[in-house]
Formats: sequence, structure tokens, C-alpha cells
Amino acid sequence: MLNIFKRLWQVNWAEQWQYRANLAMYILYWLVSPIIYLSVWTSIATINGNVKGLTANDFITYYMILLIVDQLTSNIIIHTFGYKVQDGSLSGELIKPIHPMLTNTLVNDIAFKTLNMMLLIPIWIGLALLFKPQFDSVSLGGIALAIPAIMLGYAINFLLSGIITSLAFWTTRVFSIHEFYYALIMLFAGQFVPLKLMPEVIQNIARVLPFQLFMYLPIQMIQGNLSASEITQGYMTGILWLVAALIGFQIVWRKGVKQYSAVGA
Amino acid sequence: MTSETILVEQLSKTYQVPEREGGFGAAVKGFFKRKHKDVKAVQGVDFKIAQGEIVGFLGPNGAGKTTTLKMLSGLLHPTGGKAVVLGFTPWELKPDYLRSMTLVMGQRNRLSWDIPAADSYLLAQAIYRLSDDDYKKTYKELDELLELEPLMKKPVRNLSLGERMKVEIAAGLLHRPKVLFLDEPTIGLDISGQVKIREFLREYNKRTGATILLTSHYMADVTALCERIIIIHHGQLKYDGGIANLSRRIAPFKLIGVRLAQSEAEGLEESNGRDLSQYGEPVQNEEDAEKVYIRVKSEDVTKVTSRMLSDLPIHDITIADPPIEDVIERAFNE
Repeated sequence: MLNIFKRLWQVNWAEQWQYRANLAMYILYWLVSPIIYLSVWTSIATINGNVKGLTANDFITYYMILLIVDQLTSNIIIHTFGYKVQDGSLSGELIKPIHPMLTNTLVNDIAFKTLNMMLLIPIWIGLALLFKPQFDSVSLGGIALAIPAIMLGYAINFLLSGIITSLAFWTTRVFSIHEFYYALIMLFAGQFVPLKLMPEVIQNIARVLPFQLFMYLPIQMIQGNLSASEITQGYMTGILWLVAALIGFQIVWRKGVKQYSAVGA
Repeated sequence: MTSETILVEQLSKTYQVPEREGGFGAAVKGFFKRKHKDVKAVQGVDFKIAQGEIVGFLGPNGAGKTTTLKMLSGLLHPTGGKAVVLGFTPWELKPDYLRSMTLVMGQRNRLSWDIPAADSYLLAQAIYRLSDDDYKKTYKELDELLELEPLMKKPVRNLSLGERMKVEIAAGLLHRPKVLFLDEPTIGLDISGQVKIREFLREYNKRTGATILLTSHYMADVTALCERIIIIHHGQLKYDGGIANLSRRIAPFKLIGVRLAQSEAEGLEESNGRDLSQYGEPVQNEEDAEKVYIRVKSEDVTKVTSRMLSDLPIHDITIADPPIEDVIERAFNE
């Protein structure tokens, strides 16, 4: 199995490398919204002194960390896999004795992510020079604590996206459904605004949903803002969601493949 | 485990195809209520194929050939009936099954478009768990037959159609499958390319004893490779048997071709312009303009020939089976 992943990596890395110019464009597009949120919240905090106790530096560090965490936990499988179902090019993969989504698509996504990080890091350093964040509260311990949370977030996000992408077996409108999923992430993962500033009721909902693991929780861990019980609760919720997503994915996948009509190819 | 390599019983597939009229109004209506139409692609097909057979699977476009191949390779779930290939139910997609069969479908399919085929081949080696020795041995054989080496280092997108077909077919055979489903393996190739692929398939079948089921629009593929053909039309089995028997059953005709002796006054055109319809149905044959052809029922051939020999100044006469294309065309239309 390790050998398969090694070869998959070589193929997918070579493939992604072919599209590095597209990737640079994608990164620039993707950077726009977090930078806007960063600027808006920082301006408000500067004018008011703080927003519900969050200073301008809190917002800057929050969004600077978010740039990295979001990149690590997000995925693009709706774009790479959804089309394969619709134009029938999945056929070639489906008759190979490995799971198309959990091997090839996964490795392809990680290759994409790696290349993205290579592009993002110099941009991130440039932004840090521009906004001058003070990472006083960030500790190595916090980062170490956040790494498993980021991996958990990536796994859950990948499987949930996998479920939505698998709906392509039934409907051609899967991209709209994914847009809705993305809107939920924007709201409940803490991208618009750190969850702490949301109304109490939204915060309570967010706590039982998986999305805060995609951004908010790892960021808070890195910033050292969470108590031990909050961390435990975050991880427990995450593990439950991971199990649920795994089961859900298996069911939807199995039914979807049965539905597959192998069009065109 | 059955004794047949491929066993198909009452296999059926009905597609639900969304349907709507053109125009804005219909688009709005279709948004709220989608209409579907059932398309019966395959309707209760039965056949058995023994190990080592090469069978031609024929039918006009839309007959259900590709749908059947997709079901047999496991890509599609049937609506009804059963299929057993090498003891497996294909659509359960068991890894052991997927490792022992291949499906080659005329277009890009196994290879990544952006990278050289060599990389995709190494990936296949890992996926199919082939030892270095086995992989090298099979690759060497494939390279001998298909001359792959010069093509391996170029990105697949830069290969010509014929080159791509070669690397695609070889990619599908690296794991030495016992069963090959080939959908139009020579489509778009020039004559010499077609001949190469054909020779290769015959050789592969001889060396490995693999079972091959192939569809093709080129009758030459079928006559060169297959002793047996299966014809389907409108999703139903029309014929299953030897190619020779097909002509006898579907088209019990012979073609009589005659070249008439020319008198000095008569040019070829005039002599060939003579009306032979009293002997049989005249037939066009563009390949041989020197002769006039008529179609005659098999049992009347002796009678008609002797009558023609006594009536006409015949210089040359041939009696032949009608071309297989014509026979199959007739079978489709029956």
C-alpha cells in the first residue's frame, strides 16, 4: 500500500506541477476574502480600541494563522472528482483495484496543498511584514496541540466533501450543493468573524458542528486561548464527527457507484 | 465456479434519461418537475464464453454493446439478470476480480494526460502489485509487440492517436489480465495500425490463453481475430455462433461475378451493360469494375451458372460468399 501511495504521489505531484501557473492564480483569488476580513476587523478594532475584548493585533494574528490553517484543512475534491463522475472519466479509475477517492483523489489533493503552501509561504511572509502581527501568545505547545486538530479537521472536511461530491452520481447540480456547504463553513468555522463575536446561539450550534475544527479551534489552540476542557470537548466532537463522516461516506459511496452510469466513456 | 469464463444470463439494463423540450418555458418547468424516459439498452441477453475464446461483439450504434461490456467489467449495475466472470459478479468490484480483467475503451482512460506513460505504468505496477521481475517481463513482451519504448517518455497528450492507443492498450495489459473487454480497440487507426493491434491481440491470446470479447466497427478486426461472433440489436441477442454459419443462416446467397468476352465491336462498358437481371439480382461491386455481379440463392447457383455459361460469351466467372459486412448488415436489419 505504501508503494501505491509513493507512486500516486509521483504522478500527482508531476501533474500538479504542470498546472502551477493556474495554481498561482487560484491562490491570489483565495487570499482576497481573508485579507478583506482582516483589514475590516482590524480597522474597527483600531477605531474602537477593541471589539468585545479583541484588539487589532488579536484580529491580525487570528487571520494570519487562519491563512495557514484554512489552506491545510480545505480541499478541492468537488472540482477534481465531481467532473470525473459527470463526464465519465471516472470509469478508468473505478475498475482499478484501489478506492478512487481515498487513494488517488486524496493524494492529488495533498499534492495540490503542498504546492499551494510553497506559494503561500512567501506571500504570508510579505503580509506579515505589512501587517506586523505580534505573536506573543503563540507557543510551541499550542502549535503541537493544534497539529492533530488540523489533521482531524482535514480528514472530516475531506470526507464530508467526499459525501457531497459523491452526490454527483445522482445529480448534476452537485456544485450548488457544495456552495451551500461552503457557506456553512464560512459561517461556522470562523472565517467571516472569529466565533467568539457571534451571537451566543450561533456559538452553541458551532460547538456541536464539525466546522470549527476546520479553522476556529486550531487557531484558538495556536493562540493559546482555550481551556483544557474546551480543548477536550473540541477533540471529542471532532472524533465523533470523523466516525460519522466515515460511515456516511462509505454508505453514500457504495450507493453512488451502483448508480454510476459511466457516460461517454 | 462455472466452467465458462464468462456466463451471462438474462442480463438487462434500463437507463433513466432526463428529457425536456427546448426553449425557456420548458427549462423552467424542467427545473420543478423533471421528466424521465426509460431507455432499454440491454434486454435479457444470454451467452457463455469459454476460456481462450476470442469473440466479436457486433451491433449497430446504440445496440447495447458498450453497455454490456461496462456491466461485464463492473462499471455498471444491471437492472436485471446475472453475469459471472472468472467466478466473480463483476459489479461487486472485488479487487481480485479487477486484478484479473481489463477494459480498454478506445479513448483516454487509464493514463494520465499530463505526464509520460512511463510514470503511469509504474503506478500500475504498484496498484496491481506486480513484482519488478514480472513487470519487466510483461513490459518487454508488450514492447516487442507494440514498439512502446520510443513513446514512453513523452507526455501522453503529445502522442498521436495511434501511439496513444498503443500505450493505452499496453497499460491495460501490464497486469496480464485473464479476461479482456475491448471496446473499439482499433478505432481511428490507419490500416497498418489496425493490423498491428490485431496481430498483437492474436499473439497475446495465444501466449496467455486469455479470453477476449471485443467490439469493432471494422469487420476486418472481426474476421481476422474471431471465429465466433455475437450480434445484438436493440439490446437483444440476434445471433451467436461461427462467422461462416452466419452467412449461411442470415444470407443464404452467393455472388456470381462474370466477365464477358468482348467482341471487337463491343467495348467493355457495353458488354458489362448487358442486362443480367434474368439470372439474379444485380449487385454493385466497386472493388472489381471489370466484372458484373449478381446475387443468387445458394441452392440455385449450379443451375444459374450453367444457364449463364450456355447463354453468354463468358470469359471469366467466380462464385463467392457475400462479404461479411453485407451479411452482418442484413442480420442487423432482419
